[in-house]
Amino acid sequence: MSIPTLQGLQTALSGLVAEQAALDTAGNNIANANTEGYSRETALLEPNPPIPIPSISAQTGMGAQLGAGVTVETISRIRNTYLDAQYRTQNSALSAATAQSEVLEQAQSAFNEPSSAGIASQLSNFWNAWNDLANSPTSEAAKEAVAATGEQLAKTFNELSSQLSTISSQTAEQYNSLVGPQGEVETYAKQIAQLNGQIKLSEEANQPPNEMLDRRDELLDKLSALANITVTEQPNHMDTVTFGEAAKPLVEGTTVNWPQELTESSGGRLGALLALNGPKGALTGLQEGLNGVASTLAATVNQPLAKQFFSGETAATLAVAVKSPEVQASGTASPGGNEVAKAEAALRGGAAEQSYAALVEKVGSDVRTANDNATNLQTTVSAINDQRESVSGVSLDEEMTNLITYQRGYQASARTLTAMSEMLETLIEHTGVVGL
Amino acid sequence: MSERITPAMVTSTTLNDLNATLTAMQRSTDELSSGKTISEPSNNPYGVSQVIDLQSQLEGLSAYEGDAQDGISWENTASNAMQSMSQVAQRVRELLVQGANGTYNQNDLNTMALQVEQLTEGVKQDANTQYAGQYIFSGTATTTPPYEQGANDEYKGNEETVSRSVGPGSSVTISTNISQLLGNGEGSGDGKLLDTLRTVAKDLRGGTVEDREALGTTDLQKIDGNIETLTELQATAGSATDQLQTAITRNEDLQTSISGALSNIDSTNIATVSIAYANEQAAYSAALRAGATIVQESLLNFLS
Repeated sequence: MSIPTLQGLQTALSGLVAEQAALDTAGNNIANANTEGYSRETALLEPNPPIPIPSISAQTGMGAQLGAGVTVETISRIRNTYLDAQYRTQNSALSAATAQSEVLEQAQSAFNEPSSAGIASQLSNFWNAWNDLANSPTSEAAKEAVAATGEQLAKTFNELSSQLSTISSQTAEQYNSLVGPQGEVETYAKQIAQLNGQIKLSEEANQPPNEMLDRRDELLDKLSALANITVTEQPNHMDTVTFGEAAKPLVEGTTVNWPQELTESSGGRLGALLALNGPKGALTGLQEGLNGVASTLAATVNQPLAKQFFSGETAATLAVAVKSPEVQASGTASPGGNEVAKAEAALRGGAAEQSYAALVEKVGSDVRTANDNATNLQTTVSAINDQRESVSGVSLDEEMTNLITYQRGYQASARTLTAMSEMLETLIEHTGVVGL
Repeated sequence: MSERITPAMVTSTTLNDLNATLTAMQRSTDELSSGKTISEPSNNPYGVSQVIDLQSQLEGLSAYEGDAQDGISWENTASNAMQSMSQVAQRVRELLVQGANGTYNQNDLNTMALQVEQLTEGVKQDANTQYAGQYIFSGTATTTPPYEQGANDEYKGNEETVSRSVGPGSSVTISTNISQLLGNGEGSGDGKLLDTLRTVAKDLRGGTVEDREALGTTDLQKIDGNIETLTELQATAGSATDQLQTAITRNEDLQTSISGALSNIDSTNIATVSIAYANEQAAYSAALRAGATIVQESLLNFLS
């Protein structure tokens, strides 16, 4: 038996093709070095099935298998799906903590403490005014000051309460716009479902759709910021995506099940937004706490008085119910009596002020907890992202090395081709013409 | 540590570090420029409630101090008025002694009576002294003058007291019940100063032997009794002033210690924060330098 004459040319050609494919892959990696969500790709080279040569040795009769070059098996992306799942879990938690921290920071700045404009200072001014009235019980100016500082205090309560309500309704609006028609959830889900269909077709045609897979993974990352997700890849390469606590999977093959009901424990930004406004949520707690301070203030200030000074039981409705001439320094008819004014001034540091200080402490520690959570999770997410990047990211040094390797490989294959060509030339040109 | 390191990892790590350092620097700058460690409740949640509490206490103390200062001014006004009454009583006593010794004729006695009557009006004017628009000797009827000018000697004020708070649950009475000294005049026969003065004037004008005798005996005893009452009232007012003064001193001590506590929680420790700030700046410029140089390098720099 012998070796087919032109086999060497085919082998050299297969080398040229494979090296070129590998060079192109490295070039593509370099081009996408800074593309968001891109996973580096590698050309998987496989040797061609060898050519069996039954008995190459005349002496022993042993056969051999002659290598027949190389083929590009596939161009695959390098990705660790386990890290993807980890990233998405932590990303949901991070996104929830960030949403909480954003909203609570707003609530905290609405309180405007410590400052000379916050409720604590207004309370101090109010008690000072009562104190001045106790010193000059007949002074109209002192009564005017009590009424005016009272008005200012009530107004500050009203404003804070309305700011908290605004923050609360903005939180609800943000939730609605995310889950609503054309919202992020629907947009991402539709794109994922569409990609599912395309990926299935591509895989069926045995063409690994690396770019589409990358895009789907990137969309899943974005979706994980909105709520907890789990991703299950079906045998047909379509991803089934469960979302938050929704009853049905958000994406099932090419079907999108949306809108659905979510709960406070859905995780992600959406879960956090729901939880903040929920019956036990932080925003609800702050508004209730503020109402408690307002009603305590009204009750304690009104208690020594025959005619109510404050009306309204909640922070939003608190108002001064008397005109300044009706402000009483005393319960008796004596103009110089000041026992009521003294009793009012002695409310300084009392129940209202203490419950307010506790409320400010609560908003502060809520913000701090949310911020600390967000910082910690940011570190975790960065670490996981680094690991992902370590697996899937493009290293320019590596690609440059690959370029050189494959370029040299290409050159060598070309040289093989030349050698084959020269060999055939010897055979064809220099073996001469017989019998002429 | 990860196996492969890509430029994107280096970039994102450098960026994270820069951000972290910058955040720390911003916090330090904030503390240094505001002089406060707490600019929002989340900086120190428990601290902020303490700050609110301590500031309220401080405000309260300074209000009590104001009350006590006001009380002292009130008492000073009252003391001046009583000092003036005391001089009147002494002057009347001198006139009584002169009138009783028999060397003066009736004309002289009439002149003395006229003087006593003028001094009586003076005493009533003193009793009508005002402090910050309030009649200080009317009890809590501070808008009513305690005595009218002229013949009517009836006390128009009430028996209630005016006091100033000097601390939580503690107050000092600053009003003086002047009717204990001045009484309701001749008609009431209460033997108080106005009654005495009217009687003295009447006895001086009387001209009878009994009248002259009364000047040296019962009238003199009465005026001595009145002077004693006045001295007691002055002593009471003086001790009220002392109490107020003591309260102010104690109050200022408390203010100092609470300000100290507040500053411990609230105020920036300039030395510590400055050093921290310098460290952060050094870290920041090092991170900047690293970011600017290291990430630039790659294999490309060395391939020809």
